[in-house]
Amino acid sequence: MATVTPQVAPAATPPAAAKGRPRRPRVWRGAVLVVAALYFLVPLLASFVFTVDDPSEGFTLDAYGQIFSAEGFGRSLLLSLGLGVVTIALVLLLTLPAMIAVRLSAPRLRTVLEVVCTLPLVVPPITFVAGISTVLRWGPDYLASTPFYQTIIAVQNPDFPVVLVLAYVVLALPFVYRSLDAGLGAIDVRTLSEAARNLGASWPHVVFRVIIPNLRSGLASAGFLTLALVLGEFTIAQLLSFQTFPVWIYTISGSQAQVSVAVSVFSLLITWLLLLVLSSAGARQRSGS
Amino acid sequence: MNGARVEFRGLRRRFGATVALDNLNLTVEPGELIALLGPSGCGKTTALRCLAGFEHPDEGQVLVDDKDVTRVPANRRDAGMVFQSYSLFPNLNVRDNISFGMRVRKVPAARRHERAQELLELIGLPHIGGRYPHQLSGGQQQRVALARAIALEPRVLLLDEPLSALDAKVRVTLREEIRRLQLSLGITTIFVTHDQEEALSMADRVAVLRDGHLEQVADPATLYDRPATPFVAEFVGTMNHLPGTVVGDRVEVLGQSLPIDGPAPSAERVEVLVRPETVLVTPESDGGALVMVSSFRGSTARLRVQLADGTEALADVPGHDALRLAPGTKVRVSLVERPVLVAPGTETGDVRTAVPEPDVV
Amino acid sequence: MTGNRTRSKGWLAAVPLLAFIALIFGVPLLVLLGGTFTRDGSVSAANLTESLQGAYLTALLGSVKISTVVAVVGAVLGTFLAQAVVTSRFRALREAVLTASGVLANFGGVPLAFAWIATLGNSGVVTQALGLSDHGWNLYNFWGLTLVYLYFSIPLMVLTVVPALDGLKPQWREAAQNNGANTWQFWRWVGIPVLGPTLLGGFVLLFGGSFAAYATAKAMVGGSVPLVTLQIDAALSGNVLIGHENVALALSLDMIVIAGVVMAIYLPLQKRSARWLR
Repeated sequence: MATVTPQVAPAATPPAAAKGRPRRPRVWRGAVLVVAALYFLVPLLASFVFTVDDPSEGFTLDAYGQIFSAEGFGRSLLLSLGLGVVTIALVLLLTLPAMIAVRLSAPRLRTVLEVVCTLPLVVPPITFVAGISTVLRWGPDYLASTPFYQTIIAVQNPDFPVVLVLAYVVLALPFVYRSLDAGLGAIDVRTLSEAARNLGASWPHVVFRVIIPNLRSGLASAGFLTLALVLGEFTIAQLLSFQTFPVWIYTISGSQAQVSVAVSVFSLLITWLLLLVLSSAGARQRSGS
Repeated sequence: MNGARVEFRGLRRRFGATVALDNLNLTVEPGELIALLGPSGCGKTTALRCLAGFEHPDEGQVLVDDKDVTRVPANRRDAGMVFQSYSLFPNLNVRDNISFGMRVRKVPAARRHERAQELLELIGLPHIGGRYPHQLSGGQQQRVALARAIALEPRVLLLDEPLSALDAKVRVTLREEIRRLQLSLGITTIFVTHDQEEALSMADRVAVLRDGHLEQVADPATLYDRPATPFVAEFVGTMNHLPGTVVGDRVEVLGQSLPIDGPAPSAERVEVLVRPETVLVTPESDGGALVMVSSFRGSTARLRVQLADGTEALADVPGHDALRLAPGTKVRVSLVERPVLVAPGTETGDVRTAVPEPDVV
Repeated sequence: MTGNRTRSKGWLAAVPLLAFIALIFGVPLLVLLGGTFTRDGSVSAANLTESLQGAYLTALLGSVKISTVVAVVGAVLGTFLAQAVVTSRFRALREAVLTASGVLANFGGVPLAFAWIATLGNSGVVTQALGLSDHGWNLYNFWGLTLVYLYFSIPLMVLTVVPALDGLKPQWREAAQNNGANTWQFWRWVGIPVLGPTLLGGFVLLFGGSFAAYATAKAMVGGSVPLVTLQIDAALSGNVLIGHENVALALSLDMIVIAGVVMAIYLPLQKRSARWLR
């Protein structure tokens, strides 16, 4: 399961004027915020306490130390990161040219693209993997005599399962499409490219020097959402039996409860860090433009 | 329906460090249309919102027919309001928007719709009752907002820059229509605007506000011809500042001697304030002045003329003279023989920087 | 699409993307569809019938039930939280809540399950500190799972509804007051109808998120709460009668149909609210 969501732009319209409000809503608001803070913070704090509190020794950071020495930690984390990077590259390579071209010269294709890129939202990952595993199971029987046979074997290489990249690209499509569409909507691609062409720029120059630099925050958010999705994706990897990071966490949980909770805390920190990097990149662009 | 008397008494309102209202005193007579005019930030909208109940003054009172309503909640006040833009409820069609207030007062649906239809006819849009706000043009939206504001037959109508988001043409027709409607209903109306032309053309009286207090309140002609302060002179219409010398109770300017409007100042060197339409320009090769820029406006043309001493003046000449007075023409400049306003030189200099004038050629 | 302006070759750039989707997304779905209606090598509706009976039906209904509860509760609580943030004068609070929501809405899967096990599981920190076990507390049931699903659902709702609350123009509230309406009347006739599509859209997103959730449930409750995702997992892992493997595909099809119906309700509403809040 991967609940990856688009983010709200932090600089939305200013909140409704709250001048001279009567007192009652303030009490109400305070109560809501306190309850929410408790609900969202307690599990985080409790998880941390759980990992550092040893019944016999008291406070210890052992569990965090053990993460790094645990069997499979480095391999699975590197695998997940690698999958993330390749997925981002592939999904951008596929969507970016298509979306720019459609905006510039085939506006009627835009609806088609939007619908097609939104479709994966309707298909829960577990049903998608049910389809994939069936293909992988049956494929070799029908394709044994063709070159596709070798391909199907190759994409399942446990050292770098390309099939996961392909599946993750599909899962990421709706989010990447929305991020890029918002980014392209904010800059008038047609006018920009016509202005650049009018000044004598070639098409590659237009794309790489004019459009992409103006699309930075859209690209950054697409990249972040994809990376967060890949780093957290469990369903497909588990059911296809590949040891990605989330699958590894699940596997070690049986033997070492503290370590697996420590890793959970650790993975939340990674997500948080990524988000901060992303939002500061976005902020830089806003102040720069 | 008749209008109420509205009185602002010593209103003060401060937002943090900015003072929006600084002892505002103003009385609006029953059935009158008064325009609150001033640059942005002068407090005109705050005053209106104090009357509507959306804003509460730190000090002072708002009285309607001599009753203090300062602490009455906004939804219990008898004042309809038209907002700057986008105030129609997007989920309701035009008919339901107009009859919203009647729904709140539990008027039966049939009666509500009858009244809404009446109002739609009043604003000249009888066939749009079933449409939604996003299907209307900006002008239509504001008409509907006006109908909604008068649906409950309030005794005061508040207009908060209702025309500022519209095209120039629509603006002119709509302001005539608002005025017609207001006169026929006899409703006391307060109209906030930063557009002096709008204020002068619609209002019975215009109140000019600056930094939260009243500079002058008068009928449009008086305001234009006899501004009480240099700020008003500068803000309403366009003013030339020409150097002059006081001699007795007259002033010497451009080689003419003109009577002074009001008491003669003690200073000898003054600035003479004259409107562009009182500046006369005739082609004359040794007139000493030169046309710099000419912008044609149809019935008139506005010229920027450089005088012999290097100062510049604006002059409005009849449109058919524009060709004779093309840029580069040598001309003679004189003033219409009538009393003129004068101001000590330094003070007007300050005012000139305080009020930006986008209208100048 | 061709012949549109002079640069008619533009659509070619979309071909790789469309081909990719057709192959990687389309083929598995077609195989899924084909497999659903195949048993023992011949066309049959037996898989589908079986997927709508007995334990499978219980699991399907269980998934719909928990998703509905999470979506309703999450939508209501998320909206209140969003409203509290939007009406606050503290800019920093708003930024903090939105950033935290962005992180927490993505905090799912196995780590989420472990965080809650460490908190309210049998040997969880809070369970032990408050002695909850003595009062019959158990995280590993329907309501425990609901509590955990809300942890990512409420932030998701906040992210969805904040832009809509920002889009509620202050003029609307003032115009309503000016027409004599009190706060309740404003919300009843204007506020909630205008927000309606967004709220329903948020409900759909939340429903979909819980409906598809698998990792959290697997790590937390195993099989003690009947869920369709866990049944598919079991069936895919060979935990079925010989010859009935394709029931997993039939169950998947059931899920897609339910998710598709829910989405189909959502998209037109989304369009309308975008128009209103522009």
